Amino acid sequence: MRIWSRVRSWLRAMARRARMENEMDAELRFHMEAFAEDLVRRGVPREEALRRARIEFGGVERAKEECREARGVNFISSLVQDLRFGLRMMRKNLGFTATAVLALALGIGVNTIVFTAFDALTMRPRAVKDPDRLVGVYRTKEGESRDALSYPDYIYYRNHNKTLSDLAMFGFGMGVTTSDLPPASPEDMPRMASAIGFHLPQLLQGGGRPLMCFYVSGNYFQLLGAHPAAGRLVLPEDDQPGARPVVVLSGNFWRSQFHSSPNVIGSTIHLNRVPFTIVGVTPVDYLGTLPIVPVLWAPIAVRPMLGNGTRESLENRSERAGIVYGHLKAGVSLPDAEAELSVLASQLRAAFPDVERKSGVSVVSEREFAHMDSEGWPVVAATMGAVALLLLIACANVAGLLLARAATRRREIGVRLSLGATRWRLLQQLLIESSLIAFFAGAVGLPLASWGLHLLVTEISSSLPSYWGSIALQATPDIRVFAYTVFISLMTGVAFGLTPALQTLKTDVNSALKDSGSMLGERLSKSRLRNILIVAQVAACLVLLINSALLLRGSQRALRIEPGFDSKHVVFLEMYTPALSGYSEAELLQLSRQLRTELGSLPGITSVTLASRAPFAGGNRFVPVGTATEEPPVNAAGEDQRPAVSYSYVLPNYFETLGIPIVRGRSFTPQEAEGEAPVAVVSEAMARHFWPGQDPIGKRMAIGSAHGQTPYPGETAPFFPESEVIGVAQDVRNLSLSKVDDSYFYLPLSQSSQLTRMILLRTKGNTSSLLALLGGAVRRVDASLPVVAAPLDWAVSLDPYFIVSRVGGILCSVVGALGLFLACLGVYGMVGYSVVERTHEIGIRMALGAQRQQVLGLVLRENARPMLFGTVIGIAVSAAVARLISAILFGLNPADAISFAGVSLLLIAVAMFAGWLPARRAMRVDPMVALRYE
Amino acid sequence: MDKKQMELLQGTLDMLILKAVSLGPLHGYGVLLRIQQISKDRLEIQQGSLYPALYRLEHQGWITSEWGESENKRKAKYYRLTAAGKRKLQTEAEKWNRMADVIAGILQSTPEEV
Repeated sequence: MRIWSRVRSWLRAMARRARMENEMDAELRFHMEAFAEDLVRRGVPREEALRRARIEFGGVERAKEECREARGVNFISSLVQDLRFGLRMMRKNLGFTATAVLALALGIGVNTIVFTAFDALTMRPRAVKDPDRLVGVYRTKEGESRDALSYPDYIYYRNHNKTLSDLAMFGFGMGVTTSDLPPASPEDMPRMASAIGFHLPQLLQGGGRPLMCFYVSGNYFQLLGAHPAAGRLVLPEDDQPGARPVVVLSGNFWRSQFHSSPNVIGSTIHLNRVPFTIVGVTPVDYLGTLPIVPVLWAPIAVRPMLGNGTRESLENRSERAGIVYGHLKAGVSLPDAEAELSVLASQLRAAFPDVERKSGVSVVSEREFAHMDSEGWPVVAATMGAVALLLLIACANVAGLLLARAATRRREIGVRLSLGATRWRLLQQLLIESSLIAFFAGAVGLPLASWGLHLLVTEISSSLPSYWGSIALQATPDIRVFAYTVFISLMTGVAFGLTPALQTLKTDVNSALKDSGSMLGERLSKSRLRNILIVAQVAACLVLLINSALLLRGSQRALRIEPGFDSKHVVFLEMYTPALSGYSEAELLQLSRQLRTELGSLPGITSVTLASRAPFAGGNRFVPVGTATEEPPVNAAGEDQRPAVSYSYVLPNYFETLGIPIVRGRSFTPQEAEGEAPVAVVSEAMARHFWPGQDPIGKRMAIGSAHGQTPYPGETAPFFPESEVIGVAQDVRNLSLSKVDDSYFYLPLSQSSQLTRMILLRTKGNTSSLLALLGGAVRRVDASLPVVAAPLDWAVSLDPYFIVSRVGGILCSVVGALGLFLACLGVYGMVGYSVVERTHEIGIRMALGAQRQQVLGLVLRENARPMLFGTVIGIAVSAAVARLISAILFGLNPADAISFAGVSLLLIAVAMFAGWLPARRAMRVDPMVALRYE
Repeated sequence: MDKKQMELLQGTLDMLILKAVSLGPLHGYGVLLRIQQISKDRLEIQQGSLYPALYRLEHQGWITSEWGESENKRKAKYYRLTAAGKRKLQTEAEKWNRMADVIAGILQSTPEEV
């Protein structure tokens, strides 16, 4: 309460300065007049009485000043004075101001970008109803990570649990086709791909355009508290077997495709050839439980209608259907809910022992989009570490600048001290000046960050193919991020304003006025601080640059890795028809045949083949394999104990098309392929593994089992009790760029009865210019068929390790380049400062006969020492970091000499140059002027 | 004014002002007169230091002020004790009395007592 009255009186005083002054005048005048009147009453003449009253009262102005101080008015007026003075100083030293503000703004901006991205993903609660109580329910199985629930399990948990308010399911999305919209156009093409050095497969222009459709249970939107932008959202009655098929558009799609026309509501759209009624629209950028905006939302019940599984597969307990979300009821904790659901899980295990064996349930908070797990932390820590280093460089830089300026202002401060300024008042002044810099930096850094984030999100989102949906991360810096920015800027200002400020205050008035403060002891401690700042900048900068060099050289190396097949001349096309997309299997087989004929007739194409998968294109298939002579070993639980080996179904000309040599034996004959004969081609590694030291040709193996299943519709799981090895293919990298496949084998593909969606072409010419031609061929066959295509060397660049090392390398080198720029500014400023500071000493040396070159050498040598020391520290830290990232360097030695030596020499050269520029000034010192300077 | 006056002990002016205005609202000059009157002119108060003290006490919320009319029909600023000021005065007075007792006890002590 007292605090409040103080604030009130202070505010009153501030707000009504003039009135307070008037009142103060009136009050003091009243006092003196009343006193004088008393004297008059006692017989003193009026004139004399007034004179005595004034004398008795003492200094009126001093009393007033003390009154103002009592009200705290003085503090503010001196603050305003200091602010004005600080602003004037900033304007006067524009170069200094601009450099310091720019340096800090860069550091703050980049840090804010990273913090905001981290915040949006892992700390900001989802924009849903009651995010704090939102939980996800997952299926767990011994030795496996958390997994989605099957639909019947979801229904069981929903109907039987008592700890969660309701349970809704988010089913996995799928691209669906429509013939009601124009075919794919250039706007659907992802941009930026090549900027970072990797390309996503392209949707061929002229073909159909798949739309990303998310499936949700009928209560999903109610559970999340979502409201439609128009019409209505999916309701429980839509999610019943036999309900009229409805679909909800995303606001983004509604805007881009239908110009937000309300007439769309109630109209019909054909998805996978089935008519759907559009019942409503979500708001623009509406995110449910994934940070991705789909094109369409549909009830889970319509999935069988779209061909994505049958009603039976929805009822299959072993088929993962989606993620389940619910709200904890009031007073229920996370462990309570998990305990209750675990009981339900044990009931399921008892009722369905064959499918639910060993499976349990886990309940986790879903307040944020991403869970930080052990895999995510190193990436986050590395990124934060890199940008923190940048901020360190920026701060060291500004500290150096402030230090340098403190030297030139020593005289000014000496004058102020000798005129009676208190040291506190001077400290206040200096702190305000550096805080001003920090605030300006924050003011520049925040819009910089928000622009950078916007760029980042739109670029990433536009580089994604439209059938993946778009990203709508809330990346506008919010109030907390703003607070974070201001906090960093203020801390920087205070921390680094204070160091030089305190040093300045150590200034002895006399020596400052005589301008000889630069001698002896004082200079020693100051130059040590300066050296530490140079060491810190050089070391931090070197860590960033060496690691970016390592990552970039590593990813460059990845591009030169020979995968074992000819990635330069092969293009893959994939008919993007998940779950048949409304076509029948026979229709797709027919389309595939027509497409191959059409493609084969294009100029430059030398061969066309089919395979169940293309290298690196995902969709890895594997099956248990044993040598036929032994009985399949089975463990107590009845599980196949034979090793699972990856395989592809291929046409006989697959090896020739991809340029994979057959090192022994032969490929399939067309008859073997068509008849799905029990023959196989194995990789060299597989031959060595299964038949060490023997000739594999003619050996038999047992592939798969009678009840094997495959998740790929149209394909059968391989089952050959006795398959003969007829050839050995050279080892290739089918699965990962970082190593040759452990084991791999090829099975014959029947092109008339086995549906695969992957077509591979070999061309004589340039693969990327071929893509435009391919679209035309697709259009001539079926304009509504969506086809994605990519040269195989694009696919190589999609290897996850490659992406991590490439993106990491680019981020690191951007941050490192900014750091180098800042460090050079810092070295330039500090060397310049040391020259100014030692003008006197240099003058004496020259007067005593030192040559200009010697003086230059002296200055450079002295500044080279901290740089070299920083380099040594930087190399040591980099070596430690390099060991941590060695896994993603594609075999590049973590102690790569070129990266270490090259970058270090480059940095030293650049830093020496930055030091040489101002050091030349030392040569131009005129001894006479320097000595007279005193 | 010719009598021998004592200089005010450091830090006691605030307490005296609080006491003076506790007896009824006063303007600044009135505070001075009342302290002199009660002390029978034995205390010397720097007139100029009175106002900063008043402003400080008001700033701290012990006293509050409003403009009123003086005995001779002139506009004057009157100070009044607040509830918080009343409590403050009480604790300060207690503290002072205790201190005075202790000091007096020490000063009156005789060699036998020690």
